[in-house]
Amino acid sequence: MNTTAISSNIQVITGNAAAAIAAKLARPDVVAAYPITPQTEVIEQISSFHASGDMDCELITVEGENSAMNAVMAASLAGGRVFTASSSWGLVFMYDAVLATAGARAPVVMVNVNRETPGIIAVSSGQQDMISTRDAGWIFLIAENCQEIMDLVLQSYRLAEDYDIQLPVMVHYDGFFLSYLSEGVEIPAQETVDQFLSVLESQPKRTMLRPGEKLGVGTHGILGGYMELRHKHVTAMERSKAKFDAIDQEFADIFSRSYGGQLEEYLTEDADMVLVGSGSMCGTIKSVIDEQREKGIRIGLVKIRMYRPFPHQALVKALKGKKAIGVVDRSLAFGFDGGPIYTELKAFETKLGGAKLVSFIDGIANTDITKTNVKQMIQMTADLADGKDVPEVTWVSYPKANKDKGEK
Amino acid sequence: MSEVRFHGRGGQGVVTTSKILANAFARTGQFGASFPMFGFERRGAPVTAFGRFSDKPVKEKTQIYNPNILVVLDPSQKNSPAVFDGLVPGGMLLINDKKNKGDIRHENLRKLAMVDANGIAMEEIGLPIPNTVVVGAFAKMSGLLDIDPVLEALADYFSGKKLDANRVCAKRGFEEVTTVDL
Amino acid sequence: MAEKNKARLTKVLDYLKYDDPFSKGVSFCPGCGLELLLRFIPRVLGNDIIITGTPSCSAPVLLGQNKQSWHTLSYFGTLMTGAAANATGLVRYYKKAGIDNTVVCFNGDGTANDIGFGNLSGAAERNEPFIYICYDNEGYMNTGIQKSGTTPYGATTTTTPYGTVHKGKNLRRMNLGVKMAMNKIPYTATATLSDLEDLAKKLLKAKKAKERGFCFLHVFAPCPTGWGANPADTIEICRQAVKTNYFPLWEAENGKIRMTKTVKKPKPVSNYTKLMKKFNHMTEADLEILQEDVEYETCLLGGLSVLEAECQLPVSAQD
Repeated sequence: MNTTAISSNIQVITGNAAAAIAAKLARPDVVAAYPITPQTEVIEQISSFHASGDMDCELITVEGENSAMNAVMAASLAGGRVFTASSSWGLVFMYDAVLATAGARAPVVMVNVNRETPGIIAVSSGQQDMISTRDAGWIFLIAENCQEIMDLVLQSYRLAEDYDIQLPVMVHYDGFFLSYLSEGVEIPAQETVDQFLSVLESQPKRTMLRPGEKLGVGTHGILGGYMELRHKHVTAMERSKAKFDAIDQEFADIFSRSYGGQLEEYLTEDADMVLVGSGSMCGTIKSVIDEQREKGIRIGLVKIRMYRPFPHQALVKALKGKKAIGVVDRSLAFGFDGGPIYTELKAFETKLGGAKLVSFIDGIANTDITKTNVKQMIQMTADLADGKDVPEVTWVSYPKANKDKGEK
Repeated sequence: MSEVRFHGRGGQGVVTTSKILANAFARTGQFGASFPMFGFERRGAPVTAFGRFSDKPVKEKTQIYNPNILVVLDPSQKNSPAVFDGLVPGGMLLINDKKNKGDIRHENLRKLAMVDANGIAMEEIGLPIPNTVVVGAFAKMSGLLDIDPVLEALADYFSGKKLDANRVCAKRGFEEVTTVDL
Repeated sequence: MAEKNKARLTKVLDYLKYDDPFSKGVSFCPGCGLELLLRFIPRVLGNDIIITGTPSCSAPVLLGQNKQSWHTLSYFGTLMTGAAANATGLVRYYKKAGIDNTVVCFNGDGTANDIGFGNLSGAAERNEPFIYICYDNEGYMNTGIQKSGTTPYGATTTTTPYGTVHKGKNLRRMNLGVKMAMNKIPYTATATLSDLEDLAKKLLKAKKAKERGFCFLHVFAPCPTGWGANPADTIEICRQAVKTNYFPLWEAENGKIRMTKTVKKPKPVSNYTKLMKKFNHMTEADLEILQEDVEYETCLLGGLSVLEAECQLPVSAQD
């Protein structure tokens, strides 16, 4: 662990270390730890903080991810601040508890280091784990770089534990591309983080399961009561959109970094064409946009930072009236033409003022979303804007898929 | 922006070489990003790492396909075509090899630098781990860094006697590297 | 004899220091062993326990699906897969926050021995400070009587039915209590409803021992509905299970096994099996297999208790 500050408070650390340090700064009461590639460094770092006394939490070194989620869910419902981390198969192995945590409205914060989950056991990046759990009822946030991992984890506690929200939050970041990337990260002072989180202490206390109180959680509900709770869950999710925007603003005031809340818009205002993406690919897309802008091509990026609840109002606002929109998915949706995020955005097509939509699938199974690939996506989106015939779906790194289309 | 690719073997500290350099760049107010090539890492297996170093924030999150600097920690790979793959014209190469005659050639290679990193490491730390010598040599060869930020950066990876010894390694790398313009 | 029984009853009543937190008319089957156990625990341990339970026979009452009759305990409705991990999360947070607690993780044999065994094992390894109670009715009764890992040899269930080829369960039952004792946790015990004073003592020992870590109680709790028994025979079934050594009563502190009731002249296991229909089809030869199994388990337990007595407990594990 880097302990010597470089200049003021910047350290060159991995995305995993950023997540671990952010967790430490949030002062959780209970952390559950179980290793899985590419998340392992997160829990190693936390274990090291715990061993040295730098982190005063109950560290539960569980025997599997399912127990990790169950333990932090219970600790959260008892009143604690909690943290855990997982990835791919780990997230899937805790899936029943992931659903239960959301349904119980336990404000758990965790990071999920995105990794593939098909039966071909791929130790490689991809967002299929996130997509496969998208409607568990959690708030899903996605980071682009190591600094954003740090900042999103801190913001997550404000969002999850907010009295008006009380929902679990999962911060996603790309395995390998971010988990193992070392770059400069500004590490806030403990007092600043304490100040940022102290707002929660001034709010009413949420219900906590304590001995001797006639209280229960996990009640077996049916019919009307169940409907009521589910509807409350949906409305809390909807409320979290504006809350996240507001927290981002407040974060900017304290930490001098702002991301735009649900979406980050990069050079979209005058853009004819926009790519929609999420996670680490957005950094690469921005670097290509910078080059294309020098050539006078009016291309922008909308980065999805909040994926659940789906920020459709903000997306419509950002994309309305553009000529063409290319959506980049790092995962698959079966039975649909196009990637999952493309498919979801497509539902709002009639509200986009005639903007045409096209789907790009890339970056699955660790294939790199290269600058060349991004240039191809921009070219195809430009062709679509010019009224040329562009296939609805393109597997950018797998041209054979595009030839095979329609064949059995 | 410099795009650097590091070639070595598991156990040589290849990824750490790139990390220390990113750290040193950050200390000068510049920006650095370091990352391994993705795959299983095992002691003894060939390892590739990347580094992007720039005076502007590094946005790219992809692997490096067209490096302008190559760093070869494992001299047995010097004739591997993978080493020169995608090298852009005007490129530089730094190699850890005491026997090197300065005869490595490639059409895009304009500068060749050599340092006996294993030899220096054996003398200073008693282990054939060349990475800290190489970071010193890199600073000199590239002309992008002074030795001071490198020495400061080492404190994030070593402490006590090991820090002292590795600082000597980096200093000697900086001083003893020889370069040939091609 | 009547006087003696009355004296024994009074002794049990001495342990019932707290109110029964359950309302009357809860929706358990007639003669349910689980109901007696569930009412008994908070009367001995106190009404300030936090009880966790899973989807199971206990759920309709414990977790409030049966709204007309309920209880006043703090409770946590968990999933079967992670019951012990949920209890872990509770006690770890209470520890961090300095809140005194007695968490009772209350599960059937399906959760304890089968689907939730991984996290039960994990909690034992980490020596988490709570009391895990398994009420063993030898199968998945709430879903309609299916086989579990503790269903005994020969028993018919809806997944081990009597057919022309297969006749009931053709596998031995697992010994959950011994498995847990072998983790050398502070306290392990078996108990049943025919020996309530023994059960009460063990509950209190567990409450004390959980200050040092994980405690496990394996309680034999007959299911007249699922076993095809007369609801009035529940206690008699328990009594015969003990007298035949089908379910011996013992305890283990830090793995050191000690019999709490020694059966000098064990009765044949048929004295027990004849009380229910699930063994009805078994031939003498089948019963012999079950009898041998019971004798083997008893012998093993006896051997373990002798061995453990000879072994010196590490100082670190002593009180």
